[in-house]
Amino acid sequence: MAAAMRGVAFIRNIVGSLHLRLQILGGASQQLSCLHTSISLDSKHWEKNNLKVYPPQLLDEPRRPAEVYHSRRQIKYSKDKMWYLAKMIRGMSIDEAIAQLEFNDKKGAKIMKEVLLEAQEMAVKNHNVEYKSNLYVAESFSGKGKYLKRIRYHGRGMFGIMDKVYCHYFVKLVEGLPPKPEQMTSFDQAKDYVQSLKNRTIIHSL
Amino acid sequence: MATSMTRTFGALRSVTCSSLKNAELALDVRHPGPLFLPVRTKKRYFIPPAVGLKGKKEENPEAKARAAGIVFRQQYFERPINIACSAGVFDPYIPPEGDARLSTLSKEGLKQRTEQIRQSATSQLAIRKIKEHDSEFSTKTFAEQAQEIFVEAHNALTHFNREKLHSLVTERCYPEMTRGNRYKTIRWRFVESLEPPRVVHARCPDMVTKGNLYGQVTVRMHSKQTIAIYDRFGRLMLGSEEQPKDVLEYLVIERHLINPYSRWRLHGKIVPSWAPPKDPVIKTVAIPGPELNPWEEYDALNYKVPKPASVQWNK
Repeated sequence: MAAAMRGVAFIRNIVGSLHLRLQILGGASQQLSCLHTSISLDSKHWEKNNLKVYPPQLLDEPRRPAEVYHSRRQIKYSKDKMWYLAKMIRGMSIDEAIAQLEFNDKKGAKIMKEVLLEAQEMAVKNHNVEYKSNLYVAESFSGKGKYLKRIRYHGRGMFGIMDKVYCHYFVKLVEGLPPKPEQMTSFDQAKDYVQSLKNRTIIHSL
Repeated sequence: MATSMTRTFGALRSVTCSSLKNAELALDVRHPGPLFLPVRTKKRYFIPPAVGLKGKKEENPEAKARAAGIVFRQQYFERPINIACSAGVFDPYIPPEGDARLSTLSKEGLKQRTEQIRQSATSQLAIRKIKEHDSEFSTKTFAEQAQEIFVEAHNALTHFNREKLHSLVTERCYPEMTRGNRYKTIRWRFVESLEPPRVVHARCPDMVTKGNLYGQVTVRMHSKQTIAIYDRFGRLMLGSEEQPKDVLEYLVIERHLINPYSRWRLHGKIVPSWAPPKDPVIKTVAIPGPELNPWEEYDALNYKVPKPASVQWNK
């Protein structure tokens, strides 16, 4: 009986501490959630990145590479299908990306190529980029646009709601050579494996 | 036979419908019922908005909105005109060639220096007209005032103080000074004045109606200035902060004379045809090549890059 009581009290203590922790977490998330309350559907945040002005650089600082943000909204294409193309050109230099998109058979490839060419022209004209080939795709992704809803007629008087899908496409071009992804040699991988084995600690050992 | 068939079918259907309805009520599931007979159908709780719009384009939404009570503001098909400044420089001053090349001590230099504004009659007339409206005007003090306006205007440009800039610079000159500069940092410094500024030219054009007078006075100043323009990312685009340059400028200062609250403001600059070329931008720029026909080839050796014609222009 006494053991059971102690057990119940133990469980109650655990539950109580869990509740406290959850409340603290909840409170923290409440404080953090106010960071996300200002975004609405009409805000074009991606383009506003182009308006940021940096202070003049001192002589000993390395030259800051130029960044150009561009996007196209409400493209009549699926965001999932657009993602494949966006993933393909991530990290490519701009000439390579334009070449790949030109000979790609998808519908989104043509639109993406137009967006990249526009962004390249903007970079040279407005953002003081010296050589138009000296750019690479730093970020490229697609997002969901505002869908139109229509009826899709089924048999027996049933209907489904058909979404006419639209997507946005965002791209960020940075001046300079594209960063090379680090190639792990097999020897390095083996070294990492052996190191991870050596890092293991055995608790409660002598 | 047929009637019995229909009766059985009807009975079957009613049974199935009732059983279905019971199931729905029990599970609280909502979906539209099947349409076989004109039986009372289940209510459609969601109809997408495009259903009714297929053929109805005769009603215009404007009439509907007005009927609903929304009041539209009156549309003005007007273009705003600014009368606080004139549109350009009228009868611009043509600076003599080699203005700043000769030193003051040589004979030609002295001749040029003694060339007084009194030689030009229209300028004298204009100055007299200006003195009618503005009693405090005098050619001797005005040049200093003009230089002060110039320096203050450029300082306001570096800090981008819009209100102050509008009070020191006319509406025609403002976009020329600030176009493209919004996302750039400009650092400008007036080091010193090499020669005292002089009034060289004056005109008093009247726009549209006879009495609407604007006074435009051209001031020549020779000074040392440094300028450095940084782009959006803080990289140097033009000039340098340490190296000052000798600058000979012809400023046009304007005032709307009839308006008692008007001020003398910078209206523009005159760039003579013999002005030396400016420093190049710190950037490689592609010059477009010649237009070739399909059978022609580009001959790099024989092609000369066309130079711009040296014409005096007002900035």
